[in-house]
Amino acid sequence: MNNLKSFLPYVSKYRREFLLGILALIVTDAMTLVVPWVIKEFIDIISEMPVKEQILKYVLLLFLISLGLMIGRYGWRKYMFGLSRKIEFDILNDLFKHLLSLDRFWYQKQKTGDLMSRATNDLRAVREFFGLGVLILIDAVFVIIMAVVMMSFINVDLALKVFIPLPFISVLFFFFVREIGNRHKEVQEHLAKITERVQENLSGIRILHAFVQEEYEKEKFEKLNLEYIKKNLRVTQIFGLFTPTMVFSMGIASMISLWMGGKAVIAEEITLGSFVAFNGYLMLLSWPMMGIGYVFNLTQKGLVGMERINEVFLAKPEIVDEGVKLLDIPNHGELELSKVSFSYSSEEDKILNGIDLKVLPGQTLGIVGLIGSGKTTLAQLILRFYNPISGEILIDGNSIRDFSLHSLRNYIGYVSQEPFLFSTSIRNNIALGNEDISDSEIEKIVQIAGLDSDLKIFPDHIETLVGEKGVTLSGGQKQRIALARTLLRNPKLLILDDSFSNLDSKMEEDLLQNLKKYYRNTTKIIISHRLSVILNADNIVVVDNGAISEQGSHSQLVDLGGVYAELFRNQELAKEMKIIL
Amino acid sequence: MNNSEDLRDRYKDLILFKRVLIHLKPYSSLVSLAVLLLLAVSILNLSGPYLTKIVIDDHIKEGNINGLDVIAAIYFAVLIFSFIFQFSQTYLMQYIGQKVMFDLRSQVFSHLHKMSFSYYDKNPIGKMITRVVNDVEVLNEMLTSGLILIFSDLFTLFGIFFVMLYLDWKITLVVCIVFPLLAIATRIYRIRARDALRKNRAHVSELNSYTEENLSGMDTVQCFNSEKHNFRKFFSINNERLKEDLRTVRYNAFYMPSIDFFNSLAIGMVIWYGGGRFVQDEIQLGVLVAFIQYLQKFFEPVRDLAEKFNIIQTAMASSERIFELLDTPEQIPSMVPPKNGFKIKGKVEFKNVWLSYNENQFVLKDISFCLEKGESLAIVGATGSGKSTIINALCRFYEINKGDILFDGKSIKDINKFDLRKQIALVQQDVFLFSGKIIDNIRLGNVQMSQEEIKSISIAVNSHNFINNFPLKYEQELIEGGGSISSGQRQLLSFARALAVKPQILVLDEATSSVDMDTERQIKNGIKEMTRGRTSIIIAHRLSTLMYVDKVLVLKNGKIIEFGKRNELLQQRGVFYKLCQAQIKSEQFSAEQ
Repeated sequence: MNNLKSFLPYVSKYRREFLLGILALIVTDAMTLVVPWVIKEFIDIISEMPVKEQILKYVLLLFLISLGLMIGRYGWRKYMFGLSRKIEFDILNDLFKHLLSLDRFWYQKQKTGDLMSRATNDLRAVREFFGLGVLILIDAVFVIIMAVVMMSFINVDLALKVFIPLPFISVLFFFFVREIGNRHKEVQEHLAKITERVQENLSGIRILHAFVQEEYEKEKFEKLNLEYIKKNLRVTQIFGLFTPTMVFSMGIASMISLWMGGKAVIAEEITLGSFVAFNGYLMLLSWPMMGIGYVFNLTQKGLVGMERINEVFLAKPEIVDEGVKLLDIPNHGELELSKVSFSYSSEEDKILNGIDLKVLPGQTLGIVGLIGSGKTTLAQLILRFYNPISGEILIDGNSIRDFSLHSLRNYIGYVSQEPFLFSTSIRNNIALGNEDISDSEIEKIVQIAGLDSDLKIFPDHIETLVGEKGVTLSGGQKQRIALARTLLRNPKLLILDDSFSNLDSKMEEDLLQNLKKYYRNTTKIIISHRLSVILNADNIVVVDNGAISEQGSHSQLVDLGGVYAELFRNQELAKEMKIIL
Repeated sequence: MNNSEDLRDRYKDLILFKRVLIHLKPYSSLVSLAVLLLLAVSILNLSGPYLTKIVIDDHIKEGNINGLDVIAAIYFAVLIFSFIFQFSQTYLMQYIGQKVMFDLRSQVFSHLHKMSFSYYDKNPIGKMITRVVNDVEVLNEMLTSGLILIFSDLFTLFGIFFVMLYLDWKITLVVCIVFPLLAIATRIYRIRARDALRKNRAHVSELNSYTEENLSGMDTVQCFNSEKHNFRKFFSINNERLKEDLRTVRYNAFYMPSIDFFNSLAIGMVIWYGGGRFVQDEIQLGVLVAFIQYLQKFFEPVRDLAEKFNIIQTAMASSERIFELLDTPEQIPSMVPPKNGFKIKGKVEFKNVWLSYNENQFVLKDISFCLEKGESLAIVGATGSGKSTIINALCRFYEINKGDILFDGKSIKDINKFDLRKQIALVQQDVFLFSGKIIDNIRLGNVQMSQEEIKSISIAVNSHNFINNFPLKYEQELIEGGGSISSGQRQLLSFARALAVKPQILVLDEATSSVDMDTERQIKNGIKEMTRGRTSIIIAHRLSTLMYVDKVLVLKNGKIIEFGKRNELLQQRGVFYKLCQAQIKSEQFSAEQ
């Protein structure tokens, strides 16, 4: 219920529409309830004194009512359904805005698929609750009460007899909805299994084909598939009973009405017109009876949806601006890491343990180490994707926590090994939101990043779309686009996280030259498996198991004969190939 | 964003519908039974107003109370039968729908497996999953609820029409005046609603992919401070969607009440014309009442069809996507039937092979080389020189454009591709581990392989030790992608996987990742063990690997610049010679240390 409360502001924003919608609905329902009464009057009059003039009066009356009905129906559809769409629109905007503010720490615990389903399926449930749910509830309650009143007004005795089977409908509905819900959940869970299987099959498809596993996989899939339809049929068993039971119960009520009502007319307890009107009201009841159960269902889903969306809204980022003391970061500051340690949680082993580092303005630091030694984590700490559990990261002696995230991330340019590109044009990927960037600036960056010859081959050059609808980019091309978009922002500190791994040696060398030429004053941190990239760094550190094990210039480290020297020897082939080929 | 593509009709609705129906064919007798039951239900459901007419005309008007109990009993019987028929019909139809869904889903799944690697290169996994899972699901909904709906609504419409004709054809004809109006309104609605729904769907899918993209690339978004810009874009897409949403709501808000208006209009005409005829004693009062009741029922299916229009439209879009996938031809069809017990001895020959992924941009240019049975070959070359493409051609993951590849002198085109792949073991750079037990990750579908056999293979390639360290040893469960296993261990595991198929040809793409020295040594020994006496092709990334192969191939920009026996190449003093010198230099270097 607390969840419902937090969504009420969305509704109250549109309270005018909401009230108009409900008003229109009540007008519609009232008109609907008048119709059987008009027909009753008509039949009573016509069977007593059949005069033609009387007929026209009723035809006109009905015509007027139907005009009113039309306007009423138009009104509640437009206002209630329109309202629910607008609420959905507002919630979705807020949700997306909130998602943009959450940090990596939170995202690591989430699955994209699950978040998507909150933004789509759960939101739809909330929308249906506010639109359809509220609508049916009001409609059902109003119509049921009024129809029952009218029927009792015609003949209490008859009404009581007819109502005998009606409560069953609602009771049955509750039972059905619950049981269908349970069985449906099993189906949903099984469908998730199928999804996982397909996903795994497609991820590993190259291996499966190389090892000729197609038939085996198909067999396994068919088994899973078969089980799925069995679970589905279990739902059908219940669901198949549902509608017929409903029709049956309503039928019994009509039967009683016909049977007892007929007798009452003959006994002259009620008029023929009343008898017909009585049947008319009974027909009006059938939908609201089902509607009550439907509302129950919609509410259940809507509340779950609200809860799941609220979970996202209630998530707070840990990495936030904490009382920003300093607005500007000095142009070329000295970066210092002092006893920095990090682990994802207190139970886990430390990924970084007591790192001490200093990078002077304009210097280049090279970082090497085995996979999983903590190099990337180090870069992410400098970017403040996480806060270290102990120690400090300082720029010119000020903790990076004293700067706003915005200015810190403007200061640092980070290029990762597998950069994420958006499915828009290459130009937009480079400009990345920077709309007032000029073509000449982009052109210059494209050249520095060595992309110009690649772009010439593409169908629409720099306007070529990336991904599904456009070209498939090679790993090297992606890395250079990522480099370009970072350089465009002219960062003071550039971190390259193995971001040349897919480039050939010629390109690698060209880019290093360009960086030297155009970004001489930029402080650089280069993380790489390929030693050729960091040979000329002012300082190189080897990270081993979260700590710095060796430090010095290339020649110093080779002389040391440790891990670095071994890595260097192992990479000779690649290096030689570059020189020779 | 350009959405015109999403809005284009690739198939006509009618053709799509027919194709969906074709999938019902295997169950045609069940379908006919379901339709018959449906017909019976529809007829039974029409009996209420008719019985009311009888009660009014034959009993109430005559003051005859005797027959009423009988009528009630008949009504009761009708309800019972209707209940039974309706349940059987629903169950039967669901059963058929599930069967069709099963067929279709299996078909889509196995068709995906028929696609070649170039298809997987182009299509994101998420999209393919949607075909197998969601689209089939939606289509099922159309088959079971949609199709039933259409039939039952049509039956009801015609049923009521005929009963009314039977009751009084003159009043029926008068009521008919409403139909053209209804038809015009429906047509206007259908055209507009269809357009709005299609545009809406395009916006929804754009919105979803934009959200998904932002979620996956959140690091980048935040790193570049582009939250505001992305929100503005999101807002504008969302706004477009809202516009179409509201348009749909508006169309419905006009159309639905108009149906009610026609309904009232029809009732008004019955009262006016029928009432007149009653006054002149041409019809009985019961007929008039029955007409009013039937007309109320008559417009229900019409309203229903309009409400379900959305579902049917969505289902059409899904079926379109499914058929588009099923119509994608297999790029490397198996022209040659599989042969039982097919074996390659191990001689491999490339003859002037050309291959391109995109048109005219050849990745392999005139590649020719020959390996005798049991020989090992190292391929060296820079990134993008075409090393992996040689493997792709050898395993026939891609079709070569020109030239031929011969196994024991037999053309690759004359060998069934599955037979061929069974003879080749491929070890890739990035090892993919499936969720499940370690033992199943090694033997894959070869379930008859015993644990003993697998153990001895694992010992041979040095993977036994770390597997044995798991609490459940070979029965240890891995998560997808093998999260808990280090990259060195993955490689050792993939060696065991390769040997488990007892291949004649081994293809190995050496991993470039740096691992600790101990693992490095184990990997080196594992590779030696695998290549012993087996035709092997290794894409080499380590100098040390070059030291124990028989032949070497140096590749540059898709062309061979050197190929030959290791010793001969050394004498030639070409590229390979220089590479080896570097190795010797560095060995001397480390000896000095």
